Amino acid sequence: MNRLAKKYLRPSQIPTKACHGCGIGMIENWLLQALDELDLKQEDVIFGTGIGCVGRQTFATWGGDNFGATHGRALAVATGLKLAQPDKKYLIVVGDGDAASIGTSHLIHAARRNLGVTVICEDNMGYESTGGQFSPTTPAGYVTNSSPYGMVEPGFDPCDVVMAAGATFVAETTATQWHQTVKVVRKALQNDGFSFVHVRFPCNENFGAYALGTRDTVKNLEWIYEHTQGRKTDGSETDFAWETGVKRDASNSRPEFSRLLRDMNARVRADMAAKAQAKAS
Amino acid sequence: MLATDLGVKETLVAPWMDWAARYTQGRRLLEAGTYALTEGAIAAGCRVFAGYPITPATDIAEYMSKRLPQVGGYYVQCEDELAGMHACAGASLGGLKAMTATSGPGYTLMHDAYGWAITNEIPLVVVDAMRVGPISGITGAPGQGEFYIARYASHGGNFETIVLSPASVQEAFWLTVDAFNLAERFRTPVTILTDQVISDMWEDLFIPDDYGALDFVVPRKHNLAMPFYPVGSDALDVPPNVVGHGTGVCVSAYTHTEEGYDIEEMEAQWAQTYRLVNKIRHHRDQLARYETLGLEDADVIAVAYGANARTVKTGVLETRRRGVRAGFVRLITLWPFLDELFERDCRYLVCELNYDGQLVREVTRAAPDKRKVHFMGKSAELHTVAEVVAGLSGIAAAGRIPELPYIWTEVR
Amino acid sequence: MALFKLEKKAPKGPAGRWDVIVTEDMCKACGFCLGVCPVDVFAWRKVPNRLGWFPMYVAHEGNCIGCMLCYQVCPDFCIDVSPKAAAAAGVN
Repeated sequence: MNRLAKKYLRPSQIPTKACHGCGIGMIENWLLQALDELDLKQEDVIFGTGIGCVGRQTFATWGGDNFGATHGRALAVATGLKLAQPDKKYLIVVGDGDAASIGTSHLIHAARRNLGVTVICEDNMGYESTGGQFSPTTPAGYVTNSSPYGMVEPGFDPCDVVMAAGATFVAETTATQWHQTVKVVRKALQNDGFSFVHVRFPCNENFGAYALGTRDTVKNLEWIYEHTQGRKTDGSETDFAWETGVKRDASNSRPEFSRLLRDMNARVRADMAAKAQAKAS
Repeated sequence: MLATDLGVKETLVAPWMDWAARYTQGRRLLEAGTYALTEGAIAAGCRVFAGYPITPATDIAEYMSKRLPQVGGYYVQCEDELAGMHACAGASLGGLKAMTATSGPGYTLMHDAYGWAITNEIPLVVVDAMRVGPISGITGAPGQGEFYIARYASHGGNFETIVLSPASVQEAFWLTVDAFNLAERFRTPVTILTDQVISDMWEDLFIPDDYGALDFVVPRKHNLAMPFYPVGSDALDVPPNVVGHGTGVCVSAYTHTEEGYDIEEMEAQWAQTYRLVNKIRHHRDQLARYETLGLEDADVIAVAYGANARTVKTGVLETRRRGVRAGFVRLITLWPFLDELFERDCRYLVCELNYDGQLVREVTRAAPDKRKVHFMGKSAELHTVAEVVAGLSGIAAAGRIPELPYIWTEVR
Repeated sequence: MALFKLEKKAPKGPAGRWDVIVTEDMCKACGFCLGVCPVDVFAWRKVPNRLGWFPMYVAHEGNCIGCMLCYQVCPDFCIDVSPKAAAAAGVN
């Protein structure tokens, strides 16, 4: 077994409940590598997840403390939890539904507040847990379970949303960029502020079946690879390509949210002490 | 006039009778209910408030924003009530006592988070300062439309809830401490159902001096060992779980095992439900808080809670003075519902601040003869003493409430 | 250039110095390790594991050149690749 899985994960919960060939376990492997490279122990890190494939298949795999919030609300729970446990590293592992759809409000405000968590938005471009409906990150025109005539809604990139909200570290990779993802997550974890890492990965059972026409795991991961490179195996251009890499690195450039509150408390109490002193004398 | 003048027995069953008797060093203020609710929370050890301003609970948010930094706590103004309740749950999971305060429109947004706190046994206090509805209704008018919603505060069933309701500013202070204590002991969110009148009115308020010396406050303890969720057991006083102490606890939205991870077995559903329901049902005796008047010989008993119980009580006393044997039950614990208060076989007059009839349905279910339960509903204003007297007298004399403007008597 | 290599090359470089372990009971037979491996290490079992999949197994450990691609790509935490103790001690 993977030595980092032995070190960090909950034996009764692995392998994950994910389908075969799903990218969720791959990405979790890279998260563990980032944690290992930073010498983080299990008790230093708290995992927070949500509902949906990414949330459900990641939840409870972490051997340390972890929570699976209601759909879209992992960041809302993290906002409160960070106040009580500010010194832990938070890995909020959520899907495109959790982050870019139902939970976008909390995403925006966590970025605005510069909450000290690292959000790993694992994006399989649809609501795959419920069977494969489209999501705000489904590519234009693609056929899904709820866009049988092709996706007509314009989509967006959650990276753009968090950058506009003021996130201090934003990066994007895909499921065929393992070393880049490990590096990027390492950097993200070292930001004492809001870090957002967006990783696109394949779904074979639903997106693969309905949008790409095959459940073949190798073909679907090859599709991710092609759209990462912008080129197909035969050399022709793909219909679109993802722009991967670090999009913004303003790590540690502004104070983290819980630190702001703690600093304010210190000021208020110093003020109170000074006033009491003045009254006494 | 006082009950003693009329020779009727008056009882108040609540733990704060003892607390108020023992803690007499403090300040006397003229303050609003929102102030009392805030100070009660601080006295109980609350160190996080995460919520969203809404009339009439806005003042609680403002007071908290001022008081919490003074005691080393945190005020978070969240983007909506949904986030507020989830953030409170997160803070409580991390080891800090937390509270939120809202009104009806915000309370209904909290149901997802409420269920999450219930299923994961997270202690929390939620204040719902009700106002007339539906939806925004009349912003500055009281209502009692969340009686059932507070019991069924989340979806999916398979749980019990604890709901308390104060009827004065002083009671709001003590009751908030009690709510925090129950939240800790039962490991559950507790709703304080108050209303716009109690929240906004100004009354005499005594606050004890030294919050650190209150021996009746249940302190936060941490559960550091398995089982994190003693499914299949109805035990009280299990310390709350804590995230961040390396215990390996799992907290989730799903039906779970003792360790907290999701499981899809019928046995697990049974065991989890056994705990969530029976930890409250099997300890109902520890949850009874109520006030009664003249039950020993009453022919007609008025039932109310919250602000309108004030005028109803005066109405009952006035009716007694006029020679009718009227009695009074004021519920402080709304849920679990105190069936045992309705064993007397006589007429009941349920006075509620709503027209659709909610408390009256529970009283009808609990009372021995459903034909003898009457409903006097009113919206946006408290019942006047005259209305209560007319209702009680009418029932005592002719078995029915007389026609009164804006009083609703029908329940289907 | 494709991600997956259908043609396996002969091993060069540090072949034979790696311990490759596949925990077959955890394998869900996605085929990524076999596809991404540049040399001939993996093969499919003919008997299903307790999860119901026909898992991958290490057929030719001696061919492994330690590129770690299989370790990176496995979605089910099955694979571990580490230097053989002798190689780590500097003995060739």
